[in-house]
Amino acid sequence: MKKYISAVFIIMLPAMIWMGCSKDKPVDEDGLLITTRKECAVTSFEMLGTDHLVVHGKTAVIDTTAQTINVTVRFGTDLKKIWPKFGLSQDCKLDPKITTWVDFSDLGTQKTWTVISGDRQVRKTYKVFVTVEQ
Amino acid sequence: MTGKFFRYTTVLAAAVMFASCSDKDYQVPQPKTELQNDAIKRSIGPNMAGLRMEFAYAMAIPAGKGKIVSAQVEASIAGAPATFLEHRSFYTNGSGADIGVVVGDPSENKGNTTSVTFTKDTMAATLRYYYVPADEARGKEVSFKFTARASNGETVSYDLGPYKIANMEMKLDIALADNGAKYISIADMAAYNQADAALHADKIDLVYLHRSIPNITFGHALVAPAADPQYLPGITLPAGVNRDAKLMKTWNLRDQQLARLSQGVFIDDVDFQKLTFGDVADYTLNLAKEYGVWVETADGKYRAYIFINAANSNKTAVISIKRYTMK
Repeated sequence: MKKYISAVFIIMLPAMIWMGCSKDKPVDEDGLLITTRKECAVTSFEMLGTDHLVVHGKTAVIDTTAQTINVTVRFGTDLKKIWPKFGLSQDCKLDPKITTWVDFSDLGTQKTWTVISGDRQVRKTYKVFVTVEQ
Repeated sequence: MTGKFFRYTTVLAAAVMFASCSDKDYQVPQPKTELQNDAIKRSIGPNMAGLRMEFAYAMAIPAGKGKIVSAQVEASIAGAPATFLEHRSFYTNGSGADIGVVVGDPSENKGNTTSVTFTKDTMAATLRYYYVPADEARGKEVSFKFTARASNGETVSYDLGPYKIANMEMKLDIALADNGAKYISIADMAAYNQADAALHADKIDLVYLHRSIPNITFGHALVAPAADPQYLPGITLPAGVNRDAKLMKTWNLRDQQLARLSQGVFIDDVDFQKLTFGDVADYTLNLAKEYGVWVETADGKYRAYIFINAANSNKTAVISIKRYTMK
């Protein structure tokens, strides 16, 4: 029995020391994994109304070179209460985060969001241009 | 060490085996030999003034002990005149249909009590009780005491509740027409035509309209009279109709009492209390069947949920409203 306890101790101790010293995966201030990916782009964009349905008939036009998003919403859309929904390249994150309804009613002033790459080194700011069906 | 371990394990295993093999004599439950009863609430969702609450009250006595002579329900708050206790006992036939068998005289309401006197020799019955909360019960709690009496003098009772009666009110199936009753009053929970709207101008909160305009999607719409005129094309508002309202469109919020669909979703007082409108529009376009619109009147007195029961291609619609008085 004593032999058994000693054997377990001898195996477990180095294993625990090794695990304790292994390097943690890097995470950012949001607790998200920092990867090696440099891709940094918006891949899809939708605007949802208070009914949680898309408020535009046609797909938003995303220009990843000019870093713009153009979207035409239906006539009568309540632009004061819109929930924008971004699709991003793998491992990217968005700044500022979308945590509540966004007011797009000032059509002359474009809202901006910054996409940050997986390695957190590349930042690209997108402008959202909204027009209303007439 | 090993020897001790095996000795203890053996003793423990033997104890477990002994316990599991011990005989437990099954006793056939003895039926009670007195008058018994039971009650359940059958209706679900918020209880509202004017809306039936349904209960089932079962009672039985062994055949040799006598028969049931009466049943009654006492509510802590008197129900509306439409309250009644069924004088028929129901059973479900092989096709799943509820079949009623008359067991007594139609019920009588006296104050808070509703009673049925049995006229048939009955040893077991299940009576449905429909309590319709009166307006006085709004916002209060109501309890029920179900009582059965047998010919041998036995009496049994069963208490249910308390149940909260909601403050909100409901109006179903208000017909709207683009060329008719299109002016909606939340205060009156009614729709008026052009002439009648002028008589109720200070109570008109919304205008219903349907438009087909090239290049834009307009369709069925609810718009506050004070909204930008571009959302009221072709509408000439009656004199004095100028109120504003906050509107918020929803989809797929099919309140079971408004939609009368078995969704198990109910809007209750608390939903109106906790609703946050913020800075929202005073118009909603592109409405269709099963859309809903949350409304807050200009004076903040009422909040309402309007459910679209039907939105027809002939520029008509049917709506149902739940309304909560905020102040």
